[in-house]
Amino acid sequence: MTNKNFFEIENVDFYVGGKAKVKDVSFKIENEGDIICLLGPSGIGKTTILRTIAGLEKIDNGSITLNGRIISSNKINIEPEDRNISLAFQDNSLFPHYTVEKNILLGAERNKEKKDKKISLKQIVDLLDIFHILNKYPHQISAGEAQRASLARSLITQPDLLLLDEPLSNVDQSFKEEIQVRLKKILNQLKITTIIVTHDSYEAFYLGTKCGIILDQQLKQFDDPYKVYHFPNSVEVVNFLNRGILIPAKVTGKNTLENWDLGTIEGNFIKEYPTGSNVQLLLQPEDLEHDDTSNLKLEVVDRKFRGTNFIYTLKTPSNTLIPVFVHSHHIHQHEVDEKFGIKRPIHIDHIVCF
Amino acid sequence: MSKNLNVWFFLSLIISLFVLIPIITVFSSFFDDTSNYYVILKETFLIEYIINSSILLFFVLLLTFLLGTGTAYLVSFYNFPLSNFFKWALILSFAVPPYIYAYSLTAFFENYGTAYTILKSLFGDNNYNQNIPKFDGMFGAILSITFSLYAYVYILARASFLYQSQNLIELGKNLGFSKFKSFYKIILPAARPAIVAGLSLVAMETLAEFGAVDFFSINTLTTGIYNSWIAFDDLAFANRISFFLLIFIFALFIIENFSRKNAKYHFNNRGGFKQKEKFKLSGSNSFFAFIFCFFVFFMSFLFPLSQMLYWTIKFPENFFDLQIFDLLMNTLYLVVLSSFILIIFSLVSNYGNRVSNNKILNIFSTLSISGYAIPGVILAIAFISFIAWFDESIVKSLGLYSIKKIFIGSILGLVMVYFIRFYSLAFNGIKSGYEKINISVDESSYLLGYSKRKTFMNIHVPFLRNSLLFIAILISLEIIRELPITLILRPFNFETFATTAYISASEDLLEAAAVPSLFLILIAASFIIITSKYILRDNDK
Repeated sequence: MTNKNFFEIENVDFYVGGKAKVKDVSFKIENEGDIICLLGPSGIGKTTILRTIAGLEKIDNGSITLNGRIISSNKINIEPEDRNISLAFQDNSLFPHYTVEKNILLGAERNKEKKDKKISLKQIVDLLDIFHILNKYPHQISAGEAQRASLARSLITQPDLLLLDEPLSNVDQSFKEEIQVRLKKILNQLKITTIIVTHDSYEAFYLGTKCGIILDQQLKQFDDPYKVYHFPNSVEVVNFLNRGILIPAKVTGKNTLENWDLGTIEGNFIKEYPTGSNVQLLLQPEDLEHDDTSNLKLEVVDRKFRGTNFIYTLKTPSNTLIPVFVHSHHIHQHEVDEKFGIKRPIHIDHIVCF
Repeated sequence: MSKNLNVWFFLSLIISLFVLIPIITVFSSFFDDTSNYYVILKETFLIEYIINSSILLFFVLLLTFLLGTGTAYLVSFYNFPLSNFFKWALILSFAVPPYIYAYSLTAFFENYGTAYTILKSLFGDNNYNQNIPKFDGMFGAILSITFSLYAYVYILARASFLYQSQNLIELGKNLGFSKFKSFYKIILPAARPAIVAGLSLVAMETLAEFGAVDFFSINTLTTGIYNSWIAFDDLAFANRISFFLLIFIFALFIIENFSRKNAKYHFNNRGGFKQKEKFKLSGSNSFFAFIFCFFVFFMSFLFPLSQMLYWTIKFPENFFDLQIFDLLMNTLYLVVLSSFILIIFSLVSNYGNRVSNNKILNIFSTLSISGYAIPGVILAIAFISFIAWFDESIVKSLGLYSIKKIFIGSILGLVMVYFIRFYSLAFNGIKSGYEKINISVDESSYLLGYSKRKTFMNIHVPFLRNSLLFIAILISLEIIRELPITLILRPFNFETFATTAYISASEDLLEAAAVPSLFLILIAASFIIITSKYILRDNDK
């Protein structure tokens, strides 16, 4: 069987202990070297998807295809050791009786037969900054270091498909962004097709060519990171990303809506609605602008300082709480219980309604 | 989703089923006919057996609790003269099986025994015999078993004390508790699961004890089983008493397992462990701590060792009469063969359980490790019963030659029953080694292109190497001390140190029992010293 896609999952149910965790999943990776990020809350079955792709769990329906070859179906199950898929586990899966260096070199053994070696041990060690732990045993290093060592072992195998399960969850926050940058660079450089599971949406949006959102036993959305964030396709995805609220509104024209508290809102609908229909409008923190000269004033109930910005929570006359994003250099700071002006007319670039 | 019915699964299942043979035999024989002996015994001795077993159990548990917990508390929390020496010296009592302790006790206190000789040499000739206490009968049996087995409680209690959080101790100080109040309000309750686990092991060993109670002519359920087989040739009845004893033992087994599960709680809490600073004792407190530990160490190890050494020197002819080299070779032969087979099969079985992850296999494996709870006498007799049944019902009906001689009174049969008896020791030892290997390590290995066999050989075996060595030594220690199975199933004219000591003692030739007993103690003690670090779990730190 030939397939133009590099990797494809078609109508697969994923099981743990005989119970379906995620049902009827289909998605594809068109190009070799793409990075896919699967996002979802803990315990939803993200890891199960990776384990199944790696061949550690079997499937009863649908199929998984890699490089034109079916690797899992109800009839075919290629053993994990014959797939050339590498999985870096979230927990410490280093061989406890070998040093970090030996652990990584065991990964390199698979790579031996490859004539076009693209990366050396030294490069990987430098990339992940693990030179100082090479001679240590797994029990002598921190969880974050173990995670990086495990990542190094997976990278050095240069697999056809690399699976990373929460690869940076134990890495210190201060170091995490740097590692993300280096990881993205090396994956792109080596053209290693990768599926990353994470619960960190920023990590997913940064690393992923495409992002999948898994909720309620389903792959709810699979799209570019930008689209997933700005054009969520369901209320569940909005709630999961937790970056906006839904407020009631009435469609009043081709490009306008009316809300009881905010008045007229203009913008481009990403989906058409008949005039007069009642909808739920997605209002994200960056959709509203601060303007103290405006006559639309709302009460401040909370203010969160986030370094680069403030997120104000404002209360409308109908007691709806609305988040508003303001730069942290903004000089007109408002305290709780003060009034906060909103620029009118309100204009939203892309209007998402449900 | 993973239903891995592979070759590993079937190998593991066969091993588990084999180990279960004696239990199945005992339970199925409950419905067999027995001889008149049962009626006679039921009306006369059975009550005595049960009462004696109960008295023995009660006092041994009480004394082992006091000695084991007391010594463990002192060496874990306090510094006093030789406290670091006592830490490991107190486990040397394992080198002295209860029956050898019983011989020493009798040899020392009997009329014209060692005590008499000492008094005579110090104070001249006199009739000291009437003033020397006699430690025989039930009292002797209780003392012998206590001093031999208290170390079970000592080891588990000490491990638990050692891993108790410093915060817990500091909490007691904070609340203004005295040392004694801290001990019984905080330290003891926190170590309770470990102590109960230790006492359960003592209880099982006490109920299974054969050599010492037989020597002191105490009729217990275990000697009853042996007698009904050897004196009345009634296997079915022997199995029937076994049935009652097994019910009792299974209750203990469940308590022990339950407690052990909780006891785990104290170990290996990464990051939560803080080494306690020991409190330095001085003055009379230091003196009493030293005296108490020295008394227990002296009584449990030095006393039997010196008694046996004294007799060996006093009666050197016994040394030359014995074929020491043959006994050593026989003992080593059994030890090496059995340890090797046990470790290989337990490794396979553990790996089978790991890769199959099958519920049925897990149930069989859990049942099969109950072997250590079953007295050796029961195992040996149940094995003979099974072979006899198999021979009569299957082999002969097929018109084949009898297989009895292949299995009964042969090295093969002996090793098979050792296998059943000590399988849990090997299986659990390897299992706890395996528990340190996360399952994702296996999966990583597969994903690096290693097959199951390669993962087993290249990842698991090297990792478990130290554990395997330790388990082999522990098994060796058990086999050197083992008496009833060897006695019942050994080939004709094949003796070990244990059987030679027993035979001499049962013929009232205690002096002759000294030489093999001394060798047994020395070999066992050297094994204990080699493995003391592991036994004391100090390596877990």
